[in-house]
Amino acid sequence: MTRVLAIARNTFREAVRNKILYSLLLFAVALILASLALGEFTLGEGLRLTRDLGLYGIDMFSVLIAIFLGVNMLYKELQLKTVYTILPKPIARYQFVLGKWLGLVFTLALQVAAMGVVLQVALFTQGAGFEPAVMKAEWLLFVNVVVVTSIALAFSAFSTPFLSGVFSLGIFVVGRAIPDFLEMGHKAGGFAGTAVDWAGKVLPNLHLFFPSGAVVGAAHVSVHGELVNLDYVLSTTLYGLGYSALVVALAVAIFRKRDFV
Amino acid sequence: MAAESVLTAAGLAKTFRLGFFRKKVQAVKDVSFHVERGEIFGFLGPNGAGKTTTLKMLMGLVFPDQGQASVLGRDVGNVEAKRRLGYLPETPYFYEYLTQEEFLDFAGRLSGLSYPAARKRRDELIERVGLGHARNRPLRKFSKGMLQRVGIAQALMGDPELVVLDEPMTGLDPLGRKEVRDLIVSLKREGKTVFFSTHILPDVEMICDRVALVVAGRTVAEGPLSQLLSAKLVGTEVHLRPPTHGELPPLPPGVDRLVSGTDVRLDLPGDFDVDAFLVSAVTAGAHVISVQPRRESLEEYFVAHVHAGKSPQAVP
Repeated sequence: MTRVLAIARNTFREAVRNKILYSLLLFAVALILASLALGEFTLGEGLRLTRDLGLYGIDMFSVLIAIFLGVNMLYKELQLKTVYTILPKPIARYQFVLGKWLGLVFTLALQVAAMGVVLQVALFTQGAGFEPAVMKAEWLLFVNVVVVTSIALAFSAFSTPFLSGVFSLGIFVVGRAIPDFLEMGHKAGGFAGTAVDWAGKVLPNLHLFFPSGAVVGAAHVSVHGELVNLDYVLSTTLYGLGYSALVVALAVAIFRKRDFV
Repeated sequence: MAAESVLTAAGLAKTFRLGFFRKKVQAVKDVSFHVERGEIFGFLGPNGAGKTTTLKMLMGLVFPDQGQASVLGRDVGNVEAKRRLGYLPETPYFYEYLTQEEFLDFAGRLSGLSYPAARKRRDELIERVGLGHARNRPLRKFSKGMLQRVGIAQALMGDPELVVLDEPMTGLDPLGRKEVRDLIVSLKREGKTVFFSTHILPDVEMICDRVALVVAGRTVAEGPLSQLLSAKLVGTEVHLRPPTHGELPPLPPGVDRLVSGTDVRLDLPGDFDVDAFLVSAVTAGAHVISVQPRRESLEEYFVAHVHAGKSPQAVP
């Protein structure tokens, strides 16, 4: 475990010393703060706008950061040949991948938390109190990026950052629209319908993690009409972490067989 | 009692498939050798001979298609064996965003050291490789030679029994090369086994106990230098000042003659009667400045086998 944590710590250090991340973070903060200004133009809907725009900003930028970090993680180690120095150390290949993943997850947790704090402050300035519902939504967004970054990491075990980025973004877009996607398949029927059905089973249902700020109440956050209580948060978290574990296991399987030429 | 082998390779072969059309490139065809405990072993070969690929197979970075290898008596990739091993890759690349201290701490933690032990070992090694002036400097600001030294330091963090260095002298100036040579010799004195690949032959002649020569993916020789290199005279270099009046005695055809000012340097063949020539020359009024008998050098051995591509019998 010491070695996994050493890799995780180094991965975290690499991420926080990357200036591009700060730019993305800055954009997210700017978006959240912009909601304050926009709220001035709405009548009694300022809070709703801040929640909506804030959660949307956290969602969008955390996914971008997750893909950016994930697709580069293993590929960079191979491209920059740092892996030649690390793998001959007394560490198994699976520990290396696990350490990279853990470092990514920790970095993303910090990023989402930082954006969450900015959103909460923005809500406070508009007179809102502490909103557990918003925190639930932020937690779901965090689990969402864990899934996305795990997928990006798996792609980076065998593909270039560009292709990994395209694939990861593609899976994110389709995964977010899974219900619509399935409905289209059902309507199409036949082979296409069956194929879509199977794809729906394999691809992550990221729709589950996307909270709609429009119906954030004092106690609940809703995902497209479905009330988000603690049971929902727990089951969705288990789904997200389980899916991530499978994808990371796939990344390990690919990484274990690779020649580092 | 037979010496203990700490590193063995038997019939290693590796073919890569490269490019869009997956063209086959046979990087290593048949490499075999063994390294004994406590020796300095040189792994020689021209560029592209398959040295680095062989080392990558021994370090578990590349899987061989054929053959077997063991490190410290265990299979390649075994974590326990890796705990007792230190490795410097060719042209080392490190995490540029880390300072030297951070990187060595990281290497120490990966080697299984506790934080205090890693810090203590780090401080010792920074001094040992002469980088005390750049402890907190980011690695991206290090020169090639400095990176090579950090690479050696990270390889030694776990206080390994076996140190494997891929081209450790590359990128170093003559002083740096001497320091690395001295370091390798000092590691041997501490009881460690050092295996290093190189194509810088004078370094090998100076410090290696045994060598293996690999050409075009095959081991063509293995053994102690004293047994590989012929002890017989291959030539004599004579430096003299010819007589002011008169001629030098006749020389066999094809003798290299280098004129420098009033002096002449002659490279006489091994079977030539140098004594008789010198007597005649002195009698004719020549002044002999130096006579240097020449035995077979590693360079000549290396060049002969690389060019001929022939396979002399390996010396056990």
